[in-house]
Amino acid sequence: MAVKVNDMFYAYSKQEDINQKGEYGGVVTTIMKYLLENNIVDGIVGVNQGCDIYDARPVLITKPEDVIKTAGSIHFGTLNLAKFIYKYLDGARDMKIAVSCKPCDAMTIRELMKKGKIIKDNVIMIGVNCGGTFSPVAAINMIKEVYNFNPSDVISEEIDKGQLIIKTSDEEKSFKIDELEENGWGRRENCQRCSLKIPLNSDLALGNWGVIGDLKGDATFVEVFSDKGASVLNDVIENDLIAFEQPDEKGIELREKINNSMLMQSFKKKEIDYAGTTGDIIDVFHKYEDEFSRCMKCYGCREACPLCFCEDCCLEADGPEWVPGGFTPAAPFFHLTRMVHMVDSCTNCGQCSEVCPCEIPVAKVWSTVNNKIKETYGYMAGFDTGSPIPFTDHVSKVKKL
Amino acid sequence: MVEIEYVPTICPYCGTGCGLNFVVKDGKIIGVEPYKRHPVNEGKVCPKGNFGYEFINRNDRLTTPLIKENGEFRQASWDEALDMVALKLKEVSKRDPNKIGFYACARSPNENIYITQKLARVACGTQNVDHCARICHGPTVAGLATAFGSGAMTNGFDSIKEADYIFCIGSNNMEAHPLFGRKLIQAKKNGAKLVVVDPRFTPTAKIADEYVEFETGTDVALINAMIKVIIDNDLQDDEFIANRTKGFEEMKKVVEKYDLEMASEITGIKGEVIEHLALEYANADKAAIVYSLGITEHSHGADNVMSTANLAMLTGNIGREGTGVNPLRGQNNVQGACDMGALPTDYVGYRKVADEKTTEWFNDYYSCDDWKVNLPAKPGLTLVEMMNAAHAGDLEVLYIHGEDPVLSDADVTHTREALNNLDMLIVQECFLTDTAQCADVVLPAAGWGEQEGTFTNGERRVQCLHKAQEPPGDAWLDWKIMEEIAIRMGVPKSLFHYESAEEIFDEIRYCAPIMAGMNRERLDTPEALHWPCLSEDDPCQPLMHKDKFAHPDGLGVFQAIEHIGPVEKVDDVYPLLLTTTRVLFHYHAAMTRRCETLDNEVKTGFIEINTKDAEDRGIIDGEIVKAFSRRGEIAIPARITDDIRQGIVNIPMHFVECAANVLTNSDSFDPKSKMVELKACAIQVEKFENKVEIKSRVYKDGTDRDIKAENISTTTLKRED
Repeated sequence: MAVKVNDMFYAYSKQEDINQKGEYGGVVTTIMKYLLENNIVDGIVGVNQGCDIYDARPVLITKPEDVIKTAGSIHFGTLNLAKFIYKYLDGARDMKIAVSCKPCDAMTIRELMKKGKIIKDNVIMIGVNCGGTFSPVAAINMIKEVYNFNPSDVISEEIDKGQLIIKTSDEEKSFKIDELEENGWGRRENCQRCSLKIPLNSDLALGNWGVIGDLKGDATFVEVFSDKGASVLNDVIENDLIAFEQPDEKGIELREKINNSMLMQSFKKKEIDYAGTTGDIIDVFHKYEDEFSRCMKCYGCREACPLCFCEDCCLEADGPEWVPGGFTPAAPFFHLTRMVHMVDSCTNCGQCSEVCPCEIPVAKVWSTVNNKIKETYGYMAGFDTGSPIPFTDHVSKVKKL
Repeated sequence: MVEIEYVPTICPYCGTGCGLNFVVKDGKIIGVEPYKRHPVNEGKVCPKGNFGYEFINRNDRLTTPLIKENGEFRQASWDEALDMVALKLKEVSKRDPNKIGFYACARSPNENIYITQKLARVACGTQNVDHCARICHGPTVAGLATAFGSGAMTNGFDSIKEADYIFCIGSNNMEAHPLFGRKLIQAKKNGAKLVVVDPRFTPTAKIADEYVEFETGTDVALINAMIKVIIDNDLQDDEFIANRTKGFEEMKKVVEKYDLEMASEITGIKGEVIEHLALEYANADKAAIVYSLGITEHSHGADNVMSTANLAMLTGNIGREGTGVNPLRGQNNVQGACDMGALPTDYVGYRKVADEKTTEWFNDYYSCDDWKVNLPAKPGLTLVEMMNAAHAGDLEVLYIHGEDPVLSDADVTHTREALNNLDMLIVQECFLTDTAQCADVVLPAAGWGEQEGTFTNGERRVQCLHKAQEPPGDAWLDWKIMEEIAIRMGVPKSLFHYESAEEIFDEIRYCAPIMAGMNRERLDTPEALHWPCLSEDDPCQPLMHKDKFAHPDGLGVFQAIEHIGPVEKVDDVYPLLLTTTRVLFHYHAAMTRRCETLDNEVKTGFIEINTKDAEDRGIIDGEIVKAFSRRGEIAIPARITDDIRQGIVNIPMHFVECAANVLTNSDSFDPKSKMVELKACAIQVEKFENKVEIKSRVYKDGTDRDIKAENISTTTLKRED
């Protein structure tokens, strides 16, 4: 058979060890191992477990036998691998890689591809569905205080039907995610706002949503989004590495339903977060003036932002006298400058807020402005649509004869 | 194909003890990334956390031993350098062990520090071992030990988030302990009221609900007056005082004369403001005190510390979450350096030198058939006393492990003279610091990221470090260097040989009951372990003094304390009171000034002066002015600001080309803690008649050219008589 764009399957690995260790049939791991074994890529970028399930570390794997180390989900990992790829792997300029990506990884990688910081032809994006992530320490505290579990006993976490289910080896408890989040627990704030749960901007998207019937829990729902993705999946099937079947129609509907209900939740959160300003930069800065007044100029937001990539940042060196060196709180121009340099491409990945030592809701501010850009220019950051990035590119209206 | 690895570590700057991940590419540290799993900082760091790694692989790292001959350094082999040091130490220690002194390094892992004090005590037979806590939180160690029986922070950092009222005095944590500062922001979001008392309107004051400006060095008068207000209003916690403390009546007698009028006169704070502070502190259910070097770096530092303890005990604000006396320890491992017994009065685990039985125990433990240790049960010299002894010709050899006293001790001229007066100065370092330049022998050491070990943060959390790369060139692990010296001095291997840092830690656990329960499996986790950790099943909670204090009788002790104020008063010739501080972007000098991003932020020093004081002198912003005291004189750019009280000026201490410590006073001892008055001395600031230039250091990329450029020394100007 030939796999085509927009095809959907239930799939699971035929390789016993991977099937056991990986989640929902271990398809991601099987694909990755195949790509590396057959020299289709030079390396796999994924996430490893550090000291425990709350410690996600990005890894570059170059030996097929090591791929299995990334099998299984790392719960409570909040990395953005886009930055890892361009900062430490030179944007895959000299190597071919496959990367497992959550929707926000995928969106950021797409933006960086447009900006020439990640080389599109050298990257295969294996997307994984994501209903949101939890900052590790906040999650540990929630598990202790709300769930009354010893965090080191926890083996998995899942969001299902609006409930956050936490499991230990002999017990599980669930609480309504809405209520947790109203009380300051739950997913990262940017995840609560996120409008992409199935990474349809990747080459393939995989996840357990919509797998029903006999295969529930043992297989992955795969959707193909690009020719590159189709060809990869085709090869893996032809090499008899994964088993597949057509998904149940009801399963497809269920997957859509899960996706929509999550998007609806995000929509509500966005309405709350964007309220009270027009979304124009000046207006937004005025609203968050007090929050910015705490800035200790750690540059953490710049360091964490996958879209801040200048070799020589104009905010430092002998740079601007309008953000003088050594003074804190940093002049509001610090954030204004950074904002105008990248807000058109902001993907709401939340890395900035997560590293801010001054509790400034950076991602919320950026998302508010980015939303205005979306409304005004119709530009959707994170998708390979061919449309120009509003503050980065000019669109020539000259008629070519 | 590249290899990339994340190696978790702990930040080597302040005592907050944030976690970080080193990014290691093909065996070299190339950056840091957030360690979001870490309980102290959750992946968030300050500028030093983000860029403080940039010094690691510079070309000007020391990579080979250096021996000075005819005033010039030459490269030497390890054998030659170690033999030379061992021979000298052996010869002097046989004659008179008191002529040898050791400075331990509070930035180094516990294992290195333990070995430094062991080298001093076991190989050289001297109790002369100390470190920079003496001029940092020495008064905390002494003051809180007097009051509570333990000299450490009483609560964990996260406890502050549960406070209702936070009284922050002499702590600019948004710059000096930024990730603790974050916890104040979180506390405020949880509803706490934050009050900052400081002579400067600091970045920390700027995040507060209320700010109170006051006169430098008048903390005791302020707190005594607050205590009086509380007693007069009958707001003290009688039950707590009766059941858990002693000495209340004596203290009460002394504070009685500190009425609002008198206190207002001394502190410069309006009487009604003092009353307001006292009532709000006393009325809060959970009130916490946060302080740092603004309290300790005075000639009455221990008095200041004990005053904060009085206030907390008076209102029962101790032994509960959200309360306590919370001194923020300075260096990343200054808590550990105290714990390890790098103190002339204490062995590891605060076991007392002056106690005959304890000293006998250590003499016995550290001896074998071929090596007899016979330490006296008499405390050795403190850091300041060692320097003064050197100056007076009473110390022959000083072994400095990773400290830079030329920059950091009071009175630079005095320090240089003292070091030059030694027979032999040995400096174990990563860089040729100002102090290393004075050395006779320089021993190149492995630095941050290049070794295993543990750091202990300010909340007594002992955290594991892991090696991320090899040390450069022929630099060695500190403990290995010192082990080699001990062996060459004749100490048998059975007493002084280790295969790993972990083996050293096991010896520490054995000798220090407060750390006895720290097995590796429990220790090597992100949460790590707080001491006291008495047994392997001890829960090791950070909260201390819950049901009783650490004194043998379990009681806290009130101290009757009178206001003394700074030793050096301002007068017509020296009308400004100088305070010295740190900036957010630097931590001392040798490491952060070699980090390009941090250097870009603050390239050289400055003197903060009030707008009115500047106006009176015709000084304009950025102008290089002359600042002078009874000790010396420097040229330094002026920074004019309303954020400092009139009559007070401030110089950050990092910059040797305009060093604050040229001006400070080394004669002003705290009798209780041997602290010198780094935060108060009388100076004058004047315009120069002619234009003056400051030769700022070049720390660009560590090439040979840069190192030569670094050979400029402190800009000290001769005073015109």
